[in-house]
Amino acid sequence: MRDKFLLAFRSIRERKARSILTVLGIAVGIAAIVSLMSVGYGMEEAITGELTGMADMISVMPGEIRAHSYVEKGSFTDRDVSDLQRIGGIKDISTMTYDAAEVEYRNKRAPIFVIGRDTKELESFYVVPVGLKEGRWLRENDYKACVIGDRVANDFFDEVIHVNDKLVINGDKFIVVGVFEKGDMLYSNDVDPHIFLTLRAAKEVLQTDEIKYIIVRVYEIDEAEGIAEEIEEVINDNHGLDDFAMAMTMGSMIEMMGDIFNIIRGVLVGIAAIALIVASIGIMNTMLMSVMERTHEIGVMKAIGAKSSDVLSLFLLESSMVSLVGGVAGCVVGVIVAKVLSFLGSTASGLEIAAIVKPEVLLAGIAVAVIVGVLSGFYPARKASKMSPVEAVRYG
Amino acid sequence: MGKAETRKVGYTMIHTENLSKTYRMGDVEVQALRDVNLEIKDGEFIAIKGPSGSGKSTLLNLIGCLDTPTSGAVFIDGIDTGKLSENGLAEIRREKIGFIFQQFNLVHTLNAIENVALPMFFAGVGREARIKRADELLAKVGLGDRMYHKPSELSGGQQQRVAIARALSNDPEIVIGDEPTGNVDTETGNAIMVLLEGLNREGRTIIVVTHDAEIAAHAGRTKRMRDGRVLD
Repeated sequence: MRDKFLLAFRSIRERKARSILTVLGIAVGIAAIVSLMSVGYGMEEAITGELTGMADMISVMPGEIRAHSYVEKGSFTDRDVSDLQRIGGIKDISTMTYDAAEVEYRNKRAPIFVIGRDTKELESFYVVPVGLKEGRWLRENDYKACVIGDRVANDFFDEVIHVNDKLVINGDKFIVVGVFEKGDMLYSNDVDPHIFLTLRAAKEVLQTDEIKYIIVRVYEIDEAEGIAEEIEEVINDNHGLDDFAMAMTMGSMIEMMGDIFNIIRGVLVGIAAIALIVASIGIMNTMLMSVMERTHEIGVMKAIGAKSSDVLSLFLLESSMVSLVGGVAGCVVGVIVAKVLSFLGSTASGLEIAAIVKPEVLLAGIAVAVIVGVLSGFYPARKASKMSPVEAVRYG
Repeated sequence: MGKAETRKVGYTMIHTENLSKTYRMGDVEVQALRDVNLEIKDGEFIAIKGPSGSGKSTLLNLIGCLDTPTSGAVFIDGIDTGKLSENGLAEIRREKIGFIFQQFNLVHTLNAIENVALPMFFAGVGREARIKRADELLAKVGLGDRMYHKPSELSGGQQQRVAIARALSNDPEIVIGDEPTGNVDTETGNAIMVLLEGLNREGRTIIVVTHDAEIAAHAGRTKRMRDGRVLD
C-alpha cells in the first residue's frame, strides 16, 4: 500500500502544474463553502446575541404584519395600559408615542420622526448599546429638552447641531441636551434619524394622547410567550377585534430572524454549491485529460502485467490524494477568508461579527472534496483500466 | 538461472492453432493474420521476419497476450490463453513473458531502477527484494551507473537496456521483442542482440520480430511472414 502511495505521489509530483491547478480548483470550491457558512453562522450569532440581551421584552403594537410589512390599525388607550397592569408576571410597562413633526433649525425646516417614551426605558434600549457622542441623556423631569440621532445632527440641516443648540419642534422651542453616536447595523434605523423627548413633552408637542407602542418586561423569560398571548387577548377585547394588537416576544423575533437566516444560509450554500459544481467539472476535466494523456502509460503498465484493478486503484488513489490536499487547502483558505470577511463586515456594519468555524463544516468540506475527486476520477480511471493493452500502448 | 532449465529438451513452450486476427477499419475488414500454426520450443531463439503490414507485430501481440485473436488459439506453456480471464492474462504477461517494445515504452515519471522494479511491484514483491533485483538487472545490462536517471536523461540504447532489464524483472521464461533494435543505431542494435543471445543461453525462449536480415541472423531459427501468413 505504501508503495502505491509513493507511485501515486510520484505521478502527482511529476505533473506539478496540472496537479496544482486541480488542487486549486477543489480548494476554491471548498473555501467558498467553508467561508460563507462560517460568516453566516457568525452573523447569526452576533445578531441573536444582541437580541437575547433583551429576552425579557415583549413589544406590543396596534396592528399586524401582513405580507412582510406592518399595517397600523389605530392606537392603544390608557385603559389598555391599566388593564395590562393586572396581568401577572409583568415587571414593567412603558408606553411610547411617536409621530412626524416639523422641525426647524436656523431657518431650515425638515420633517422628522419624534419619539417620546419613559426615559429609563429608552436609556436601556438605546443609550446603553449606541452611546452618546455629546451631552447627557434625558431626565424624567426635563421638559423642553431633546436628544437627537446622528443623522439629525449631521445630515438633515445645513449646519451641524451640537449640545445647547435650539430646535423648534411643531412651533415649540427645545434645547438639545445630548447627541447620539452613529448607530450600528441593528440600531441605525431606530436611532440615527429620530429626535427623542420625554413622554410628557412628546404628547404635548405632537398634540396626542395616542399610544403607538407598548413595551412590557416580564420577570420570567419562560413565561413571555404566555403573557404575550394574554396581552393580545386583553387588548383585542377592549377594541372588539380579533387581531387589533400584536404582542411579540424577543424569542419569537429571534425565531423569525432564524427563518431569515435559514434563507440567507441557503443562498450562501447555493452560491458555494455552484462554485463546487464548477470545481467538480474542472476536476473531472483534469482527471479525464490526465487519463487520456497517460493512456500509453496505462497500456505499458498492463503490458508488463498490471491488472485492471491495479490501474484503477492507482488512479483512484491519485485523485483522492489530490482532492484531499485540495479539501484541506480549501478549509485553510476558507477559514482565513471567513476571518477577513467578518472583519470587513464588522467594520462596515459596526456590529461585532466573529466568523464561527464549526468543525462539522470543515469535515464536510473535506469529505465533499474527496467524494467529488474520487467520483470524477472513477469514470476515466475505469475507462483506462478496461482498455486493451495493445490498443493503449499504440496510443500516443 | 531461468526456470525453464528444469524442463526437458524439445518441450513446446508456445504453439498457435489456426490463429487469425481481423481488424475493422471503418467499413473495411483487414485480415492481419490468417490461420497461423506455429510451434516454438523451450529455449529457442526465433526471429520472425517480414515487411511491414505482414502481420508479424499482430502475431507477437497475440503470443504476448496483449491482444485476443478473432479465431484460433494460443497455448503458452500448455495453457490455452483463450480460456483465461483478464486477470489470468495479466498474470501470464507478468510472470511468464517479458515484452520489449520498439519505442522502449518506459514510464517517464519513474527513474531507471523504478521502471525495472515496476513489474515486480504489480507481482506483489516486497520493496527491498524489488530494489535488490532491479539493481542486479541494471548492472547486468550495463547500466549500473544510470540507475537513478529518468528515461529522458538516457540515450535510446540505454532506454532499451532499461526496457530489457524490466522485461526480465519477474524472471520470465519467454522474452518477446517487437523490433527491439528499430529505434537505435546499428552498433547499439547489435549490442542489444548480443544481450538477447545471452538471455537465450540462460535458457529463455526468445522471439524477436524484425525486418532486418542482419538482426534476424542472431536467431537460431527464422520464420518469414507475408500477408498474414507464416511462409516457412
